[in-house]
Amino acid sequence: MQQYSDTFLDNASAALADKDKAEVRDAMALFTPLVRNAAMDQFQHFEELRQHVKQVRQHSLDNLGHYLESYEQQAVRNGNQVHFATTGDELNSIVLDICQQHSARRIAKGKSMITEETGLNAFLERANLDVMETDLGEYIIQEAGETPSHIVGPALHKSAAEIRQLFLDRHDLGERELETTEDLVSEARQVLREHFLNAQVGIIGANALIAENGYSMLVTNEGNGDLCANLPPVLIICTSVDRILPRAEDATAMLRLLVRSATGQAQTCYTSFYSGPRREQDIDGPMETHIVLLDNRRSDILASDYREMLQCIRCGACLNHCPIFASVGGHAYGWVYPGPMGSVLTPLLTSLEQSQALPNACTSCGRCAEVCPADIPLPDLLRDLRHAEVEEKIAAPRWRQGLKIHAWLARQPRLYQLLTGMGIALLYLLGRKRGSFSKLPLASGWTSQRDFPSPQGRTFMQQYKAEHKHRE
Amino acid sequence: MSDSARASIFARIRYSGSGASAAEIAAAREALGRAPAANLPGSDLCSSFLANVLLNRGTVDVVGNRSEAVTAVGKYIYQHYRTHRLVAGNDPRLAAMPWRDAGVLPRFGELEAGEPVALSYARLGVAETGAVVTFTGKANPAANNLLPENHIVVIDVADLVPDMEMAWSRIAHAMTTEQRPRGINFIAGPSSTGDIEGKLVYGAHGPRHWHVILLGEVPQAALGEAQAIAAPAATTGELD
Ligand code: SF4
Repeated sequence: MQQYSDTFLDNASAALADKDKAEVRDAMALFTPLVRNAAMDQFQHFEELRQHVKQVRQHSLDNLGHYLESYEQQAVRNGNQVHFATTGDELNSIVLDICQQHSARRIAKGKSMITEETGLNAFLERANLDVMETDLGEYIIQEAGETPSHIVGPALHKSAAEIRQLFLDRHDLGERELETTEDLVSEARQVLREHFLNAQVGIIGANALIAENGYSMLVTNEGNGDLCANLPPVLIICTSVDRILPRAEDATAMLRLLVRSATGQAQTCYTSFYSGPRREQDIDGPMETHIVLLDNRRSDILASDYREMLQCIRCGACLNHCPIFASVGGHAYGWVYPGPMGSVLTPLLTSLEQSQALPNACTSCGRCAEVCPADIPLPDLLRDLRHAEVEEKIAAPRWRQGLKIHAWLARQPRLYQLLTGMGIALLYLLGRKRGSFSKLPLASGWTSQRDFPSPQGRTFMQQYKAEHKHRE
Repeated sequence: MSDSARASIFARIRYSGSGASAAEIAAAREALGRAPAANLPGSDLCSSFLANVLLNRGTVDVVGNRSEAVTAVGKYIYQHYRTHRLVAGNDPRLAAMPWRDAGVLPRFGELEAGEPVALSYARLGVAETGAVVTFTGKANPAANNLLPENHIVVIDVADLVPDMEMAWSRIAHAMTTEQRPRGINFIAGPSSTGDIEGKLVYGAHGPRHWHVILLGEVPQAALGEAQAIAAPAATTGELD
């Protein structure tokens, strides 16, 4: 997918200015944490399960070579062809090759963030293939020519009214009605059913790959991914090398957290495990199945200090709980993965230069780390990335200079206390009358949005010392 | 291309690996033990399973034997579709049902366009999640799960398991005598979507209705208990 994270601040300002969209985001930001929290309260073993799943994920990553190899062996034994892709472009070429070998024209696609990452749809369309997204949310944004705004609900930024207008513009409706949300769903169902039945290739993602038996796990509520996996004669599963888990029960243990964190359900309507092509005595299923495993710098992350990020199970809870995400929405982040997880992943999977603003789009409130079912210390990783920006001289020179001065000053306690004491006393004198400042030098970023309350005259250290003396 | 990509990916991954032997890795995984499951909502397997099916927006029926099962199926499809016809997979257990007794006319095979009702015989039921488990194959072609308007599933009480760990151990056991199935499907509700404003709508692509018939020695109070558990929890809606 084309990246535009470098204009994050402009994207964010534009998003904030659009009041209607902001209302849709507010509604989602209120609703999504509620369902997650209710589900976790009911479950009662969140912390215990999260520690278990985290340990299993870490164990899998520590021994990824071993598990990846055993997965590959099992998958081949099950009749699959397994492909490896170092980059997104490689994945796209592998998939196109398979489609062309079968002279396929119509592709039915299930939701897959990996193929969003590699920009597969655009690539296949350039080769004149007819690619149709079949997850309702993905279908809506494909019809609208947009990109996902959320990793679980890709079209949640759109209102029902917008979607109605979209279908009115794009579909030949005849007698069909689009009054209610149910009508909209039925409309998409009708259009997509036809596509499923006539597609020559199905493409889906995988939520987990199981090393012990070579099955891949697919989690959906709509059942669209299952239709893609069962109806077309060729199936291609696109996923990344870090999705491996040792055992089948590890996948369903993760599922307990994934679904509750994502949608507040105990389990999605469809959780399926696919092993390969149709068996000799079967009467249905694809004749040929391919697994394409993408690296795209994940092996670099594995070798880095950001390794914990690979524990992510893509539940979207950190997005739903992030005040920045709620305010500016997923598109502002300018790539596939938004919110806290995206602010860590995007710089690592693309480059820190291109996504410099993302690690700074954080208030350090810590809600993401609190709810993350993989127990990833997201605020710490974001801080480390900000540190790297300074180290690698990516952060603006003025900013780095400021930090340098501050760091030096903070190491001279007497001078620091003297200067801050003078500063506070000065601000107190200047602001005493009004009680606040509407403009301050060097702090226009703050004062352009709100007033800065004037200090009470003494610094914390001055008050602390006075109190101390008093007690003695 | 793929060959050199494979080699380079493995090399990079192994570089940051633990270097442990297969036996050490297996022992390390074993030491992590098993995950906690969700608490069962009811006092036994049957009531818990039924309660969770209801919470998943399924409907349920409880029958004591095969002849009652056939009657229940017949009644259900007549009520909903004024028909006696349905499609069922080539499952020997379904073929052996006394269909004529209830005047039901099953067609055995894969669902075709325009046929509204399919019947499956589940391999397992999971009380923890209220899911039924089917294997793809002749006995249950995938289309029968995914394409009808209305999916009816029969499940034996003896095939209920408390949690997903037990489900896997039963599945692993089945694989010692049969080939690995192409697909293993855990189904927990009619097809749904929350993709439009987070509002939950049924019948996204697959079944709009999901009806589960529990067959065997079900404790008398189980259904009532399940209904009482599920009744107050009319949830607000879910996403995706
Ligand atoms: S970082 Fe954690 S909360 Fe965010 S998507 Fe990944 S697993 Fe979910």
